[in-house]
Amino acid sequence: MTLEPWKVWQCRTCGYLYEEEFGDPSEGLAAGTRWADIPADWVCPLCGTPKSDFDMIQL
Amino acid sequence: MTISTELANTIVDPFAYANGDRVDQAFAQLRREAPLAVAQPDGFDPFWVVTRHADILEVERQNDLFHNGDRSSVITTIAADKKVREMMGGSPHLVRSLVQMDNPDHMAYRRVTQGSFLPQNLRVLEARIREIAKGFVDGMLAKGGQCDFARDVAFLYPLHVIMEVIGVPETDEPRMLKLTQELFGSADPELNRTGSVIGDTGTGVDTIQSVVMDFMTYFMAITEDRRANPRQDLASVIANGQVNGQPMGHLEAMSYYIIAATAGHDTTSSTTAGAMWALAENPDQWAKVKANPALINGLVEESIRWVTPVKHFMRTATDDAELAGQKIAKGDWMFLAYPSGNRDEAVFEDPFSFKVDRTPNKHVAFGYGAHVCLGQHLARMEMRILWEEIFARVDSVEMDGEPRRMVANFVCGPKAVPIRFKAS
Repeated sequence: MTLEPWKVWQCRTCGYLYEEEFGDPSEGLAAGTRWADIPADWVCPLCGTPKSDFDMIQL
Repeated sequence: MTISTELANTIVDPFAYANGDRVDQAFAQLRREAPLAVAQPDGFDPFWVVTRHADILEVERQNDLFHNGDRSSVITTIAADKKVREMMGGSPHLVRSLVQMDNPDHMAYRRVTQGSFLPQNLRVLEARIREIAKGFVDGMLAKGGQCDFARDVAFLYPLHVIMEVIGVPETDEPRMLKLTQELFGSADPELNRTGSVIGDTGTGVDTIQSVVMDFMTYFMAITEDRRANPRQDLASVIANGQVNGQPMGHLEAMSYYIIAATAGHDTTSSTTAGAMWALAENPDQWAKVKANPALINGLVEESIRWVTPVKHFMRTATDDAELAGQKIAKGDWMFLAYPSGNRDEAVFEDPFSFKVDRTPNKHVAFGYGAHVCLGQHLARMEMRILWEEIFARVDSVEMDGEPRRMVANFVCGPKAVPIRFKAS
């Protein structure tokens, strides 16, 4: 099985980083939670920006 | 429902914030009895007081419905508002920074510096910030077990970091600190330019305006230098920044410098000083972090909630709206009471206790929505690094005298935190 590389997503408004590898336990997102598996109505925990206004970035 | 004049006067009284308990009790009463109601303190236009966490988020989230710039973005008397408008050609603002802007300008101006404050770009500063933090902890330890943590560490460390980021020479840092304290401490006779309680509106506005002019004079010279000799610093980004293909306006550029050179350190200083105050009074919380440094991130978040250095911002409804079942009319002025939101019993269990392991801790101290604090990632990083260095080298702290807060109702925190400590 080939594992997809971990990806990082960033909020366009405030710069919050969602790193799939580490998840965000304070948001109930366990380490390893893929971006695609986060509900569409999830919003940035720091500023409330919708999931659709995040960009995938390279760190 | 209308808030009693006594309560209304309290929530705008700079001395109530210096007391701490008075303003906490006023907001607790409002959350219980009138969580979203109209206040009209003596000498002020009426405004809604938004005390609940959920309602603050709701207003901040709808940044096109609730504007920053249509009326004053901070609470102000009728007389002061009139004087500012006379001085500024009808505008209710002495400066025009991101705080006073709405879209489309807000987004366009925010983009100019946003990259400088993104987490991935701040990571390169970590080693340098740790070096600065170590230097301040060295200085603290050299004091032999006693210091005023506010004056000796908390005021100076974030100042040094942001001035390096901006590109202000170290020799000018005392001047920047003094100007910042004169601006945010304009109601505090120990900090303002007059050295006394300012009783009349004319003197109050003139005093603030004179501080603003001093900042502008200073940063005009920086601008000229950075246009001629750009460097890798924030001043060069602002000096050469373009909005919609044009150089930034003069007032907007000067205001950008001012907000970076004031809010860029004073809020972090207040939070750091307030955290030490809380730790000195709660040795069990100190012991928890000492035993488990992984709690430092929790300490930082709880400190930000606990201090909430920005006490309010104002918004103005651009249209008729409904909020928490109340009818808000177009043009209504809204007072977002951040300290109240951060003590909201509906969100925070035991909100008047300082808990370094509080989870979740979704405070509103940085705001929310499009206007959320631009420097929040830098502030968190600075505080994390400082506490890592302190906990590695200090065994215990206790209060060594009477801590005191600034007299102010906008941006404020402790001004003296005398402690005794034992080095490791």
